[in-house]
Amino acid sequence: MTSGLRRAASTVVLVVVSFLITALILRVSGYSTGEVLSGIIQGAITATGASTSSIRWAIPLLLIALGVVIGFRAGFFNIGGQGQFYMGACSALAISLGWRDGPAGLVILCGTLAAMLAGVLWSLFPGWLRVRFGTDEVLTTLMMSFIGALVLQYLTAGPMRNPQGTGQTAASERIPEAFRLTGGSGVSLTVLLLVAAVTVLVWLVLERTRFGLTMTLVGRNATMARWQGINVRRVGLGAFALSGALAGLAGAVELYGPAARLVTGFSPEVGFTAVVVALVGLLNVWGTVVAAVFFGGLQAAILFLPIVTDLPPPALVLLNGMVAFLVTVKFRAVRRRKAAQAEAAAS
Amino acid sequence: MTAPSGPAPAGVPAVHCRSLGVSFGAVRALHDVSLDLAAGRIHALVGQNGAGKTTLAKVLGGLQTPDSGTVSIAGREIPHGDVRAAKAAGLAMVHQHFSLPPSFTVAEALELAAVRPGGRRVYRRADLHRRWQADVAELGGAATLSTRIRDLPVEARQSLEIVRALATEASVLLLDEPTALLTPAATDALFERLRRLRADGVTILVVLHKLREVAAVADTVSVLRDGELVLGPAEMSEVSQGQLSDAIVGSGAADAAPAGVSASGSGPDSPSGTATRSALLEMIGVSSADSAFEPGLAAIDLRVDSGEIVGIAGVEGNGQRSLVSVIAGLSPLTAGSVRIGDDEMSAAAPALRRIRGLRLVPFDRNTEGVSQSAPLWLNQSALRLIDRHARDVVYPPRRGIVHAVAPAGSERDDSKLRVGERLGVRWRQLSPLISLRQFKSQAATAMDRWRVRYDNVAQPAESLSGGNIQRLILSRELDSDLEVLVAAQPTRGLDFAATEFVRRSLRARRDDGAGVLLVSSDLDELFELSDRLAVMYGGRIVAHFDGPYDRRAVGDAMTGAVR
Repeated sequence: MTSGLRRAASTVVLVVVSFLITALILRVSGYSTGEVLSGIIQGAITATGASTSSIRWAIPLLLIALGVVIGFRAGFFNIGGQGQFYMGACSALAISLGWRDGPAGLVILCGTLAAMLAGVLWSLFPGWLRVRFGTDEVLTTLMMSFIGALVLQYLTAGPMRNPQGTGQTAASERIPEAFRLTGGSGVSLTVLLLVAAVTVLVWLVLERTRFGLTMTLVGRNATMARWQGINVRRVGLGAFALSGALAGLAGAVELYGPAARLVTGFSPEVGFTAVVVALVGLLNVWGTVVAAVFFGGLQAAILFLPIVTDLPPPALVLLNGMVAFLVTVKFRAVRRRKAAQAEAAAS
Repeated sequence: MTAPSGPAPAGVPAVHCRSLGVSFGAVRALHDVSLDLAAGRIHALVGQNGAGKTTLAKVLGGLQTPDSGTVSIAGREIPHGDVRAAKAAGLAMVHQHFSLPPSFTVAEALELAAVRPGGRRVYRRADLHRRWQADVAELGGAATLSTRIRDLPVEARQSLEIVRALATEASVLLLDEPTALLTPAATDALFERLRRLRADGVTILVVLHKLREVAAVADTVSVLRDGELVLGPAEMSEVSQGQLSDAIVGSGAADAAPAGVSASGSGPDSPSGTATRSALLEMIGVSSADSAFEPGLAAIDLRVDSGEIVGIAGVEGNGQRSLVSVIAGLSPLTAGSVRIGDDEMSAAAPALRRIRGLRLVPFDRNTEGVSQSAPLWLNQSALRLIDRHARDVVYPPRRGIVHAVAPAGSERDDSKLRVGERLGVRWRQLSPLISLRQFKSQAATAMDRWRVRYDNVAQPAESLSGGNIQRLILSRELDSDLEVLVAAQPTRGLDFAATEFVRRSLRARRDDGAGVLLVSSDLDELFELSDRLAVMYGGRIVAHFDGPYDRRAVGDAMTGAVR
């Protein structure tokens, strides 16, 4: 797979270029780039609890990004992971608070299933609009994502608000400690095993089932798939549903793991960063794992840096955005070149 | 209508071209075409598909750069491939497919093309609108300057394309197959309009398919065949319909024995041998809705028996696409029934039809036949992806089904295996997981059998040549059990060797007992392969022929002369 290696290498180059551009901008703004770089390394790897924090952020990124990868296989761009993630977390929270004296295992299972179902519903609606009316799913999933964020805000400020809560931001009650799969660090063996199992499962579905191969055919050329007798709409809906289920699952893992309660606008970037993770991971399951760990580290560093430098937090979000920008440009350029070649070959 | 800016001086031809040549790779689209079109007349250009009509129109309009030759419009030589110069010389073009943005209003679309009053960059929209008021009246119905183009009926869109072309104040109007989408009444209205333009001094070159239409509107006619100008421009009064048919299809078989043409509309019953044959594909009174680029089907009766190739002749765009997609289940029928074997399939999903034994070689191999960027093995395996569950559950294996060249030794005998191995086999049958190795090796075996030349089963389909892609499609469609094969333009654009391979393959499956429906616009191919021939025109089957075929009679039926 030399072409795969070449694509991986070019992506690494893009990430390095993003680092250089960000460093240049920081330099021009009067920060010491050496200090920032050492801060990043500390925040992501070497400081106490840093690598745990990196993994903690890699988990939701990976789960949502795997959903993006599935969508892409079938030719859809589900960028609404954030809203699906929020709705998943809200559903799991509702089950957990509503049944707080239930047996922990059963409540977690029901909460997780409810979260996945909520994610499915939140992505299936734009999916249905897409296959039924041809509505651009980039727009609709994004809009649904905003709706999800506002629903979360309403719930945490209204019906689910913790009446004893103090402080400025609206937050829900905490779920009972018995329901939590991890401590505050957000990483435990259970969660790691769960995420690993889900990753392997996604890989199997994509690469080793008829459904996965059918999705690939539909995503590459829906016209040909139709002529082959494949029900393109049904496959598309299936892809949207799976994609949403994974984002919903990420919401449940977040709640039962590090969060324990929901705060208005928590983890505001994961859904969108996950799209970048999937692209940097070359829309391939294992590549996405690597990219998720990388961006998890970056997220940990973003939270850590203001402690050791005088850098404002948005400065590293800039790096995130730079990677997203370059990778998207490259992705679109390659697509366009391919489309042009196909057209030239056809005429 | 705005007055034409500069009609050519008397004596100078409005359009003049010398020794035009255009090649696309090895294909010669135009060869040594020289043509003079007198000013102020209606000239028709006719020919079969691929004869070079659209290419010639594009060269004249500056959209296609010729390899050789010269073009002058109204006495002015146009630099090769210069659209602006062609426009400036007074040439306007109406394309085969609608080119106006559907979301624009009529006024916006006209503004896009218009010569601005006084050549100024700043102008008042109201001035333009006043000038176009009369043109809009001609669009008919409730259309106004603020109607969106997507809301206009097809005829009005066509008229608007012409109005737009003339908004550039053209003296030469080029229309590429303007009647393809029009109803007869709308066609008459269009012709009336062309006559009025002629009276205003506009020179018109119109590409037409139907000889009846040529006779109705044209002053002169020119015929292209295989990229060469074989007739004309000749005065319409001086050529007969027969001469035109001959020029269009070539006169090679004009001396063939006349064949029986059954009266149009009657059933395709063949007088002998029906007792032993069984219908594998049967269409009874099938109609379907019009699509964007083609008439729908109108009461089609068609039957394909085991062991025969039935050819569908016709000028492209007369419902062949509708026919194939209705059979495939890709577009719904509005009346009648489609049967495959003994099974009513009118409402069956495409997958069921394929499982029942329907195989398709689609019209466009690059977009409909393969997925360009997907690996070869996945392209080859597409049928296997839908096949597994449905075959056993829905349709038990049938007696009538034709078996492919059996992949010897592929079915193993379970009873000889040890317990552990038997469990393994059982697991593979039950497991939702598939073996990629098995998929790839099955694909490789099939591709080798159909002589696909490739290096690696994982390479993308786009890396293959056209002939190889067609072999890949055959290896998918013909390598498994099948009853009915629908082959649409299976040899278009292929070189000699690949063409022969495809034709041999179709005959071989016919001889194995499959029923083959061959849709083609290549008459030689149809004559060579078909046991029977039906001609489509305007969404109907207008004539049936049995061999030996009379080229002229078939040609007449194709152009709508037999109704």
